[in-house]
Amino acid sequence: MTLAWPEGVGRHVLPSTDSTMAEAARRAPSALGPEWVLAFEQTAGRGRRGRAWSMPAGNFAASLILHPKEPPQQVALRSFVAALALHDALVALGVPATDLALKWPNDVLLKGGKLAGILLESLGDGRGGLAHLVIGIGVNLAAAPEPSALEATAVAPVSLAADAGVQVGPEDVLNALAPAYADLEAQFTTYGFAPIRNAWLSKAARLGEVITARLPTDEITGTFTDVDMDGNLVLETLKGRRTIAAADIFF
Amino acid sequence: MTNKTHEQDVEFIRALAELLNENDLTELQVKRDYGEDDSLNVRVSRQQPAPAPVQYAAPAASAMMPAPGPIAETAAPAPATAEDPAQNPNAVTSPMVGTVYLQPEPGAPSFVSVGDKVAEGQTLLIVEAMKTMNQIPSPRAGTVKRILVEDKAPVEFGAPLMIIE
Repeated sequence: MTLAWPEGVGRHVLPSTDSTMAEAARRAPSALGPEWVLAFEQTAGRGRRGRAWSMPAGNFAASLILHPKEPPQQVALRSFVAALALHDALVALGVPATDLALKWPNDVLLKGGKLAGILLESLGDGRGGLAHLVIGIGVNLAAAPEPSALEATAVAPVSLAADAGVQVGPEDVLNALAPAYADLEAQFTTYGFAPIRNAWLSKAARLGEVITARLPTDEITGTFTDVDMDGNLVLETLKGRRTIAAADIFF
Repeated sequence: MTNKTHEQDVEFIRALAELLNENDLTELQVKRDYGEDDSLNVRVSRQQPAPAPVQYAAPAASAMMPAPGPIAETAAPAPATAEDPAQNPNAVTSPMVGTVYLQPEPGAPSFVSVGDKVAEGQTLLIVEAMKTMNQIPSPRAGTVKRILVEDKAPVEFGAPLMIIE
């Protein structure tokens, strides 16, 4: 059982598109409120920094258009909101919460494997704020992409069907995700990052363990002790405490 | 600062840097008025020897200054801040702490290059934080005069990124 579709939120379901991120960005200027764009097929799905996002048939790809009013630094905290929303939606669809964990800042892991990818793209308005934010979420429902398409050091991909035994379609996920996101978005805009951070930390993978953050020009290994109030990853290293705003995490 | 006076200005700043060293000063600020709306404002400073091996974060501006050239030959580091990009009203600044990307994706051409004409709203670069890719648009139509950050460099909030005039 899932909750009712959230009031005032648009819903578009497309048979095929280039990428839901691109489609959502095109729709953003004319969108009057939050809108979800789901596609059953993506012909040019993409991940972070131009990485290909491979989408076998039956998998989930959707993007949410928002027009946030906070400064960009706070808007970026929706990475955590989105990861929590997907976590809650998966639990609502029957995935045991104990099989799920979150990897900084917004990866959702199933039994330690990569189940989903979340990417946020925002456009500045030239006056210090944002014209729009698009949150893209991809979930391996039916099948995981071939590991050969991935970096050797990346977390092994898994799928909901094969690794959790849960058979659901893309629209089932959207119908669970939209209300879960709307609840957390209301929490975030009302109470700020603190409750989101607490909920996220309670589901964090490898908290208290040694992990590696790969930055564009550096690699930092240390004990993962916290996520600070700005959303930064906090690592205690041999050279002291490091807070990291952008990196890929390996463990 | 016009082109014809550029060499004289460099000479002037060099002389100030020498003055700083000879008199063991830490800072010197001079304003020269050439005419109406034409002045040179120079602040030359150097750091006192640090008492302990404390690591100071390099100021964001230092990496963007042109090679210090002759001034670097003086005994103490004397970064001349004749033109602080952060104070430039045409500077586009970072709205967030994060990582800069000058290209839409690795291997692709840069969004813009120095000398390019840009339209208002045209994407200049991306600042990433927490997997959020924030496209920074040009606040006005103009020309890219300077690019003050390197691809993949970390930036602080408010750091000048480009000069668009």
